[in-house]
Parts: sequence; structure tokens; C-alpha cells
Amino acid sequence: MLKILLPTLMLFPTIWLTPKKWLWTTTTAQSLMIAFSSLFWLKWASETGWSTSNTYMATDPLSTPLLVLTCWLLPLMILASQNHTMPEPTNRQRTYLTLLASLQALLIMAFSATEIIMFYVMFEATLIPTLIIITRWGNQTERLNAGTYFLFYTLAGSLPLLIALLILQKDTGTLSMLLTQYTNTTMPNSWGSKMWWAGCLMAFLVKMPLYGVHLWLPKAHVEAPIAGSMVLAAVLLKLGGYGMMRMTAMLTPMTKELAYPFIALATWGIIMTGSICLRQTDLKSLIAYSSVSHMGLVAGGILIQTPWGFTGAIILMIAHGLVSSALFCLANTNYERIHSRTLLLARGLQMILPLMAAWWFIMNLANLALPPLPNLMGELMIITSLMNWSLWTILLTGLGTLITASYSLYMFLMTQRGPTPNHIMALEPSHTREHLLMTLHLIPVLLLMLKPELMWGWCF
Amino acid sequence: MTTRRVLAGAASVVYTGINLSSRSIVQHSYCCSSGRRRFSTGKALHTDFYKDLEAQFKAFRQKAAAAMPSSDWNPVELTPGLPPERTDVLIVGGGVLGWSIAYWLKKKERIRNGIRVVVVEKDTTYSQASTVLSAGGIRQQFSLPENIYLSMESAEFMRNINEHLSVLNEDPVDLQFNHSGYLFLASENGAAIMEENYSTQRHVGAKVTLLSPTQLKEKFPWINTDGVALASYGLENEGWFDPWTLLNAFRRKAMSMGVYQCNGEVTGFRYSTHPVTADGDSIDVKRIKYVNVRMPNSMEYQPVECAIVVNAAGANSGKVAEMAGIGFGPKDTMAGIPVPVEPRKRYIYVLHCPDGPGLDTPFLIDYSGVYLRREGLGGNYIAGMSPEEEDEPDTGDLEVDHEFFKEKIWPLLAHRVPAFESLKVTSAWAGYYDYNTFDQNGILGIHPLVNNMYFATGFSGHGLQQSPAAGRAIAELILDGNFKTLNLNALSFQRIFSQQPVLERNIV
Repeated sequence: MLKILLPTLMLFPTIWLTPKKWLWTTTTAQSLMIAFSSLFWLKWASETGWSTSNTYMATDPLSTPLLVLTCWLLPLMILASQNHTMPEPTNRQRTYLTLLASLQALLIMAFSATEIIMFYVMFEATLIPTLIIITRWGNQTERLNAGTYFLFYTLAGSLPLLIALLILQKDTGTLSMLLTQYTNTTMPNSWGSKMWWAGCLMAFLVKMPLYGVHLWLPKAHVEAPIAGSMVLAAVLLKLGGYGMMRMTAMLTPMTKELAYPFIALATWGIIMTGSICLRQTDLKSLIAYSSVSHMGLVAGGILIQTPWGFTGAIILMIAHGLVSSALFCLANTNYERIHSRTLLLARGLQMILPLMAAWWFIMNLANLALPPLPNLMGELMIITSLMNWSLWTILLTGLGTLITASYSLYMFLMTQRGPTPNHIMALEPSHTREHLLMTLHLIPVLLLMLKPELMWGWCF
Repeated sequence: MTTRRVLAGAASVVYTGINLSSRSIVQHSYCCSSGRRRFSTGKALHTDFYKDLEAQFKAFRQKAAAAMPSSDWNPVELTPGLPPERTDVLIVGGGVLGWSIAYWLKKKERIRNGIRVVVVEKDTTYSQASTVLSAGGIRQQFSLPENIYLSMESAEFMRNINEHLSVLNEDPVDLQFNHSGYLFLASENGAAIMEENYSTQRHVGAKVTLLSPTQLKEKFPWINTDGVALASYGLENEGWFDPWTLLNAFRRKAMSMGVYQCNGEVTGFRYSTHPVTADGDSIDVKRIKYVNVRMPNSMEYQPVECAIVVNAAGANSGKVAEMAGIGFGPKDTMAGIPVPVEPRKRYIYVLHCPDGPGLDTPFLIDYSGVYLRREGLGGNYIAGMSPEEEDEPDTGDLEVDHEFFKEKIWPLLAHRVPAFESLKVTSAWAGYYDYNTFDQNGILGIHPLVNNMYFATGFSGHGLQQSPAAGRAIAELILDGNFKTLNLNALSFQRIFSQQPVLERNIV
């Protein structure tokens, strides 16, 4: 554990002390080394227990895939940010990298926390660097609005969580995840305990986001710079899913009834946000709403509380993290050339940048859960476990899959096919860095296709 | 940019509590960064918190009092009227063509808020804009088919203007479109050309008729047909209208659809250049990244990031094109050809003649270049003439030369319409033509060397009448990639680069 955490903390001296010429190279190299060495976490001692533990942090098959995803994403974020931070003074570039590295460190500590309060503190702490990235480096004046929505939605959801955790501490005497999975908290069947249940989960539902409380996500994703969008889509949303998975382990048996409205909201949200995608004019906004749609499916899978549901949720989280982050990178390559995210203006790019069109095609196919990619595996597992719970959900999830396919196709056709406008005839050709970025996003997805046991969590 | 200052300002307020003067903030941070505070009781600190406390409290109380509801003090010093920091399309010039393009872009966007449009106009009083100083005529009697199509479609638009430009709960648009037609007179030399033009116009579908001198005398007995061999009279869709109303109608409708208007002046572009090789030779193609918009009466400017720039700056289009670096290349290359639009001053004189031709006066254009139309119902007329190339007046200001009327226009006018031998010039004004020195026809299309700059300028006196259709054409170019309703490829930049003028023979 410390083998990964200390090099991550040592990124700070690297960032501030490296000469300007080598800044990006060394940070990318160091974060890539951290990413590769994080892969050893995937060798678990046993399939259900915790390993590599110290007093406060441990990894188990649930948190390991998310940890590896987090570590893998940092070099990708640094690669993606190189171009748009180039005109800025060096100290500002260093500040930007510091924020990314601090986000990384906090996320590693969050995912590997064994004490729920430590998880809570890290969960909240990740808000700060993200808020600074969105409001300082975002592109438009709406970014202040976006930062406010982001901050206050998450805070309003998580303050009840603090109270709920204090209640839990008072009742069971401990908040260590190692122990709480064994303590059966038999709460009396009263309104108070129902509110305690809601308090435990609300923060994570807002973070996921669940359909009714999802308004912060499109704003935050659209206004954030590319690294902000990547980390938001890939990892921060998964914090919500991970938290839910940990908390629901100790919330039985209330979840069986209380989860009903939230499962309904989540599955309804798949269709609603999918339909909104079909009407979007802004490319990043389209990808953000598709994130909400996929996360709705994940939320449904987690609240179902069956082994297949959990497994499907983790697989979909990992696969969606990589694919969504890749789509944001593609949207950014568009934006850097044309300076507009409007779908009407950036059209017919296949004629000009055919290799980038190939990446667009693959990533859109991955987004619509094409077999044999892991996105499909995750979706299928969640859909079948939802059907097991209630046969009627197949109407919603099936329609949702159809809508997902149609907006993915819409996104591809709008950006790549069609007449190429005259004003984007002379664009910069694709950089190797951009191709490298897309490859690094795609290779884990393809490799996971071959060994999905790495992602199945403790349920298989 | 301002937000950053705000956030930094807020941060420093948080740091130092109620310490408000910037000097003590600087010194405070200086002390902090040097880190070393001596333990000795030697020199006192520059800023003693307790000594300043009383002054600080007083300043705080004053500021709190100033922030009371009745004062307009704002802690965040925002400049009002700054354009947004980024937009999709930025239209330089808020004349009738600029607003027409903005309206059509919004009309064709298919989804609400599909595209963001900002119109930048440097003078919202329109004191020197060509649009409002125009005589306001519309005709189909051109020799170039594209011009005829443009005017025909524009006339259709304006006849049904309330279908297009009416806004809910607002007054309907009344253009005061007088359908009195244009009457072109030709001498012996020009009669053949007029006949050719007539056949082109009829072929395209304009409703024009030819009149012999006797027919002319029958129809308009107040004309002296001496020297007139042939006349061409427009029967439908020709006349004049109020340009200010059209401008405001476009503007009101476009703003109701979400176009943002900025009062500022475009002072420069920030563009990126990269060489593009076409079979061996390399051409530098520019792409505009930011447009610097300067606020009126101020040095402050805002770089607006945009994807497309539309140059609809009228008489100043040439200057705007120079800001983008067009025309500064080596002489015999494409890069060395500037945009050939410059301002030309034209005068219009308002005459009062109670014994004049009366209500059925068409827009009369004599073969000498003198034009005349009725203005209102009180016996007032408007007359003017385009001077010869050598006599072009200085375009520095819009002062009117009354001698020009007395020496050049009045004799010809009195010869053609004998009633005008006695008249009174009640008023006069001058305005600019956005004169295309190359071939006096509009330039519609993208510039080959600046990849995202569209031009809609150079109409040389017939821009107002073609503005609805030209605006639609540019919107089609931007959003559909190609012309959809009218094929106006003849008016693109291609003709300027290949030095093949597309001349219009009926320029007034």
C-alpha cells in the first residue's frame, strides 16, 4: 500500500522541483510507473478477504479494480492536459499538476480506507481539488455556477452521511469496514431508522448520480477542463458506487423495501437521460448525460444487492470509466481544433481526420455496449439481476439500451459523417500524443475482456 | 479574467480578515514569505495590526454603509457590456446584413440553443452605418442573375415579413414597403444592353416590362422623354421601404431567439497559421482563434474565443480583413490580394416640390446616373447620383457637399422632370457604400486563406435590398456546408483570386 501511496505523495516534489523542460515528461513517467506498479494489487491472497493491509488501509477485490483505474488514469490526465496548459506560465502548470496529483492521492486513500470515517473524509476532500480545477481552469463563465452546483449537491448529500456514521459508531462501537460487515445492525422499524438508512446512502446516490439529483453532473462535466472531465467521469462517480457497495453490506435487511423508489428512479433515469442525449447540442453535454444514464444502471445493480448485481456494477463502473474518459478526450481533440463544442459546427470530420474517426467509432461502439467488450458484460448482469427482482424492469432497461445505441450512433454520425463544413478544412493533423491517449484508454478495456475475473469483486 | 481577479481578491480578503487596503496586503504577504520575524524588540513591523485597528473598523463601517440597498456599490468590479468569453459564431458588424445572418443562423439551428451567436457593433446609434443612411430601394433590374434572385427572394421575404420576423406580444413589423417600382431610362447607346438585361430578368422570373418613349409619356406625363430610347419598368416586388424598420425587425427577432449583442469594436484577431502544402508549394492558412473586442471609450478589450467569424462590417470590411492579415503577402500570390472593399461616400438630397410628379412616381433612374424617388406624401422627393471615378469625395467624414447637387444633379434632374426646375433642398445626408472596387458585386463566402472567416460584404449600394436572402445564404454555408436555396457560387472569393470580375451593369 505504501509502495504506491508514497510515490504518489512524492509527485509533489517532482512537480515543484523539476525544471520546466522536463516537467511533463517526468510527471507522466512517474505516474505511469505508479500505474504499472499498482497492478500488483490485482494478485489477491484470497477472493473475499482484505490484503496488503496496514492499520488504516487495505485492498480487497472490490476496491482493487477501482484503485488500479485511479492509478491508471493519472498519466492519461497528464497527457491530455499538456496541450491546453502550454500557453500558461510554469507555476500555473505546476499548480494544475499538483491538483491532479493531490486528487490521485486522496482517491487512493479513499478507495483503500478501512475505516468508514476515513473514507468519508477522503470522499469530501476530493471535492476541493476538483472544485479548484473546474472554477479556475474551466472555459466559460458558467463554470462558477457549475462549481457551486457540484459542491453543494455533494455536500448536502454527505452531511447526513456524517450524522448516520456517528449514529453507527455509537451503536456498534466501531466503524471499521472489517468489522461492520459482521455486526448485524438490527434497527427498530421506525421512521428514524429509515432516515438513518437514507442518510447512509444519499451522499453516494448524489455522487453516482441518481436521476433526480443529477443536475450537477452535466454542468460540472461541461465546464471542467479535459483532465477535470476525465477524472470526474472515470473515478469520482465511482466513489459513489463504491461507497454504496460498502455501506449496503451493513444496511440489510432494510434495503429490501427502502430501495424500491431509488431503483425506480435509477431505471427511469436511464431512459430520461438517454432521451435528453438525443436532443443535446453540446458534445460534452451529450457525453455527460450518457454518464448519468450508465450510472443509473450501476445504481440499480447495487441497490438490488445480489451477487450478479454487484458484479455487473463493478464491471460497468470500470468499463464505463475508461470509455467515458476516452470520449471526453475525443471531444477535447475536437475542441482544441475548432474551439467549439457545438455539434452543428464540428461535423463531417471523417474526411479530414480519418484515424480519429476510427477512434470515435470504437469508443462509440464501446459506449453502446457492443459485445464482447466488458461494458456489455456489466450491462447484461445488471439487467438480468433487475429482471430477477421484477420482470417489468426489462421494459425500462431494454428501452434504455435501445436509446443508448441511438444516441451513440447520433454522436458518431453528427461528428464524423455528413458534409464537412468549409470552415474546418484546414485543421491541425492528429498528434501522436492524442493517438497514444486513445490507445492507453482502449488497451485496458480489451485486456479486461480477456480476463474479467479481475473485476468481478467478491461475488464470484 | 475578471473572475480570476475576483477569486484572488476574495482569497486575500479571507487571508487578512478585514484588512482592506492593498498596500497592507502586499506587505503582509511579504512578511509571511520572508518568514522571519525577529524576536528582538528592535524595529517595529511595517503594519501594526492593533494600531491600524481603529482605522480598519472605520473603513469597514464606511464600506458596509455604502453597501446598503440604495447604493450601487458592487464588490465585484465587472465591466458592464463585455462580450462573452467564448461563442460559436461572432458576427462583426451590426448592420442589416449582420443581423440578417444572426437571424437565419438561429432559424436554422434545429434545436433550441443549438448554436451561440454574438453580434458585435461598434456604434449602436448607427450614426455612420450604411444601412440606415440608405435610400432603401429594392429592385430586380440587375444584369447578373444571382443579383436578381437575391432581390426577388428578399422581396418575397419582406412582403411576408410578419410571418418571419414577428415576435409574440410585440407590435407587428411595418416596413412601409412602397411597391412603386423602378424605372430605368436608357439612351440610344444603352438600349441594346437594356434589352439584354430585360430578357435575363424575364428569364429569371422578374416582372419587368419595357416601355417605348411614347408609352413612357402616356404612363408618366411628367417625364421629358428627350434622349430616352427605351425604359424598363418593374411591375412587382420593386419599390422602397424603411431600412431602419428592417434592421430593428431583424434585431428584435434575432435577440428574441437568443443572439447576444455586444457594443464594442473589433480591434484585432489572434490567429494561428500553419502551412498547407498543395502539390509542392506551401500556403499559409490562418485560423482565427480569438477576436479582440474593445469596449467603447475604453482601452479594455475582451478576447472572444470563437469558431467562426463573419465579416459583415460594411464599409469597414476591408479594415477588418486587414486585421486578419489578409493582403499582406507577396505581391503576385494569393496571399497578397486584399479584400477589395472600401468606403465610398454618396450624398442624398431631400427636395420639396409641390408641383412635382405626385404619388405614382417610381424610383426613377436616368441614364446619366441621377436617381429620384418620392418620400412620403407631402411632395417631398429624394435624389442623388453616383459621382464619376475621378470626383469621388473624401471619405473622412459624412459632411454633405451641396455644390454637388447644384452643379451636377439639378441640371440633369430638371432636364428629365421639368417640374423640378423650381424646388427647394430641405435637407441632405451622406452615407457610405461598401464599395467593391473589383466588380461592385457582393462577396459571399469563406476566404480561402483564413479558414474560418466568412464574408458578406461589398454589395456597393445594393446590400440592404439583398440582405434577407444573403443572410440566408451565409447561414446555409455555415450550417449546411453549401448553398441550398440559391446557388451563389458566382459571388464567392474565387472570382477575386482568379481576377475574373463578375460585373453588374446596372449599378446605381
